[in-house]
Amino acid sequence: MSSRVLPAVLLTILGLAALPATAADRTSILKDYAAAAKAADPAFAGFSAPRGETLFRSKHVGGKPDTPMCTTCHGDDPRKEGKTRAGKVIEPLAGSVTAARYTDPEKIEKWFKRNCDGVMGRECTALEKGDFITFMIGQ
Amino acid sequence: MIATGDRRRVRVWDLPTRVYHWTQLALVVASLYTGFVAPESWMGVHVAAGYGLVALIVFRLVWGIYGFEYSRIASFAYPPRRVIESLRGLFLLRPPHAIGHNPLGAMMVFALMAVLIALTATGLMVLGGEERQGVLRGVISFDIGAAAKEVHEGLVWTLMAMVALHVTGVVVESVLGGDNLAWAMITGDRHLPAGLPVPEPRRARPRAAALATLGICAVLGVTAAGLSQVPVPGERPLVMDPAYARECAACHGLFHPSLLPAGSWRQVMATLDDHFGEDASLAPDVADGIATFLTANAAETWHTEAANRFRRVAATDPRRITATPYWIAKHGEIDKSVYARRSITSGANCIACHRDALTPWFADQAIVIPTE
Repeated sequence: MSSRVLPAVLLTILGLAALPATAADRTSILKDYAAAAKAADPAFAGFSAPRGETLFRSKHVGGKPDTPMCTTCHGDDPRKEGKTRAGKVIEPLAGSVTAARYTDPEKIEKWFKRNCDGVMGRECTALEKGDFITFMIGQ
Repeated sequence: MIATGDRRRVRVWDLPTRVYHWTQLALVVASLYTGFVAPESWMGVHVAAGYGLVALIVFRLVWGIYGFEYSRIASFAYPPRRVIESLRGLFLLRPPHAIGHNPLGAMMVFALMAVLIALTATGLMVLGGEERQGVLRGVISFDIGAAAKEVHEGLVWTLMAMVALHVTGVVVESVLGGDNLAWAMITGDRHLPAGLPVPEPRRARPRAAALATLGICAVLGVTAAGLSQVPVPGERPLVMDPAYARECAACHGLFHPSLLPAGSWRQVMATLDDHFGEDASLAPDVADGIATFLTANAAETWHTEAANRFRRVAATDPRRITATPYWIAKHGEIDKSVYARRSITSGANCIACHRDALTPWFADQAIVIPTE
């Protein structure tokens, strides 16, 4: 492949991958969490944005003392940037603002693992994760 | 005891010597201010003043050979007998008249010149060994640079004591001799007793002086250019490991690996689940890769000031750069409210103020503290 064609092809692939992927991926990611939630509790009847919001805004116990809430670093408004304790900007959590959010299952799991431990001192359940994402996608 | 009687004006200090004298004073004041008072980011001015002093010293030594009579070293290189005589005269409050530098003043001139040469030399050594800048950046070891700093500081106090003595001498001599010596260094003329014999002065030889100065500057310049080509040991371009950049910079500015010794980096990477109050756990293979990069480029592998200083970590908190004795000593004077500024947030946000925080250099001149 000539060196002039390669970048164009790569860009096209990237474009194709990025454009329709977001919505589809979010749906499939939520579907996976729903399956896990159903497996954990047969009475599972779908995710709830209000429950997700409560999770986001509540003060939790059991986590690390410097980070008792999601909003400690992410800020009160999901549509706005947050800031780590070391001063680094965090892209807004709201799905409508940060298109790349909730599209990469590995990344989602990495951050839930870290941040649920930091804020609550335990792993989050599939229900909590699904609720949280549902709330954020709607923002 | 003010000498009276008829006086006559005698041209003693030619223009180059006067300009030299007052420029040197200005550069010494600028060096003192930038060395003790001004923030470290002014170090460039301090260094420029130092190079200026070197130029002045070169000029003065040349002018000491080719200048107007009383600027010539030969005219004030008195034998010890004259110095003792002069000292005795001073105690009797009747110092013998001299046209240019008197014997005691001449001693001070030589001493001041020696101290200024030593000050600029040790300054260059500190600049090279500690800051890794200037002509000697690759030549002087960090330890020698640090030792030179002690000497440099000691010499500053010596110089200030000598300047005080010099001014005292000028005042005393002016009063006893009835002629304002400080004013003479401005106008160039002294008012000497009419009876004092003034031999025919030797004229200045500006062309010879210019040639000699050019020659010396050429030799110094070529030497400096050659020396500054010597690289700092261990100096190398460092590309940040992609995983390090991706994972760690998600939460904080990247720390140059030279800012902690390998042992500390190993501990940092082994305790990511409790990373300064947060869970920053990574997949084991990713963490291992980052640990390899950090330890391979840890403080032990660099010869910069930061790397040398941060090799000593806090025994109780060996993972934390901001707990090292040197970090605390250097940042202790900065008010907490500065760190709270929006663009800084934390003492661990190095690059907020050190614009070269992604390099091993951490130059004083690269410090800019944001105001909000």
